[in-house]
Amino acid sequence: MNEKQVLTTIEKALGLPEGKLNGLTQSSEIAEWDSLGHLSILAALDREFNGKVASIRELASAASVPQILNQLKQHGLLQ
Amino acid sequence: MTPGVQRMKVSVDKIDYYLPPKIEDNGLLQSENPDWRMDDIVKKTGILKRHICEEGQTALDMGALAADKLFSSPEERRSIGFLIFVTQSPDYLFPTSACILQDRLGLDRKCLAFDVNLGCSGFVDGLAIGASLIESGLAERGLVICGETYSRYIQKTDRTCRPIFGDGAAAVLLSRSAKPALGPFDFGTDGSGYQDLIVKSGGARGASEAKAPCSIFMDGAKVFMFTMDAVPKTMQAVLDKAGAKLSDVDQFIFHQASKLVIENIIRRLDLPPEKVFLNMQDIGNTVSASIPIALKDASRQKRIKNGDLLMLVGFGVGYSWGSCLLEWGEAS
Repeated sequence: MNEKQVLTTIEKALGLPEGKLNGLTQSSEIAEWDSLGHLSILAALDREFNGKVASIRELASAASVPQILNQLKQHGLLQ
Repeated sequence: MTPGVQRMKVSVDKIDYYLPPKIEDNGLLQSENPDWRMDDIVKKTGILKRHICEEGQTALDMGALAADKLFSSPEERRSIGFLIFVTQSPDYLFPTSACILQDRLGLDRKCLAFDVNLGCSGFVDGLAIGASLIESGLAERGLVICGETYSRYIQKTDRTCRPIFGDGAAAVLLSRSAKPALGPFDFGTDGSGYQDLIVKSGGARGASEAKAPCSIFMDGAKVFMFTMDAVPKTMQAVLDKAGAKLSDVDQFIFHQASKLVIENIIRRLDLPPEKVFLNMQDIGNTVSASIPIALKDASRQKRIKNGDLLMLVGFGVGYSWGSCLLEWGEAS
C-alpha cells in the first residue's frame, strides 16, 4: 500500500470526498475527524492492513495524516 | 498439565438480571447536547437507549434484586457457599459490598463473600474464581453477581462515555455438575493501559490526581486498539487449550462494548454474524454485567439452547481480558 491509498482509506472512513486530504492534513482541520471519526480510521486501516496495525498503539494518538503515515512507515507497512 | 486447560465440572444453573426502570434515550442526549452528531454516534455505538440507576440506588441494590430472582426458597439461599460481587461501583471504600449483600440476601453466615474490582472482563474472572472454589471442593454452589452504576461517574457533556454506558446488575448461580461444562479459560492483564479508562477520584492516589469529583476518563482510540489486538488472541488461546476451532463454537457472547468494537472482532476473525449475540441496542454497555445479561437474553430469545458450546469474552478497563468456553446446561 502507498501513501495515496492510505489517504483514500482515511477519506472513505470519514466519509470525505476523494482528494480532501493531503500529506499534511491535521485532524483539527477536518470536522469529521473527531474522536469517533478516529475510531473509524483505525478500523479501516486495520482492515486494509489485514490486522497488522492493531499492535501499533501510537496510531491511537496520531492527530494528523503525517503522523499516521510516519507510524505506518516505522512499522514497515508503507512502501 | 498446562494451567487452565481442563474443563471444570461446574455449570451455570440459573441466571437473571435487573435493569433500573429509568431510561435515557438518544433523543434526551441530543436535546441536552445539540452539538452532538447523534447519527454518527449511533453508527458506532449501536446503542439507542440505556437504563440509569435511580437517585440513591446502588450497584449493590441492583445486584440484590438480580440475585433475589434466582431463589425459590430460604433453603436455597442457605446452600450458597460463596458470593463474589464484581463491581467498580462499591457502596463504600469498606466494608466490602459482598458482605452487605450476604446479609441482604439472607445467605448463611458460613458463606465466603468478597468483591472483585474488575470491569468489563469481570464476569469471566468471577466465573473462573467461583468455578475454582467448586472444583477444588471448597464449595458446592455459589453466586457471581455483577453490578455497575458507571452513570454516576459520567458528566452530562461527556460525549465519549455517556452514549455508551448503562447501569444494571446480573447474577448467576454456579454449582457442581455431573460432567465438565465450563472452561478452559484464558486471562490477560496489561496495566500499562490503566490511564486509558479511569476514575481517579475515590482512591488514595486519586485524591491528589483527580481534577473533578467522580469523573470517568476514557481514551476511546487507545481502548479500541487494545481490543483489536487482545481479543482475537485470547479467543484463539482458549480454542488452542480446548483443541477446538472457531467453527466448533455455536454462539459468541462478547462483552457488549459497542457495535464498532464487536463488528471489528467479527471482521478480524471472519465470524458468522448470526453466531454473535448483540443486545446493547436497548441496554448499553453495562460493564461486567453485560455478558450475563446477554446470556439471559440469548436464552430467552432461543439463540442458545442446551448443549450449545458458547464462548464468553470480556475485555476492557485495566487493561484486563478473559475468555472461556461454556456448555450451556440443562438447568440454565
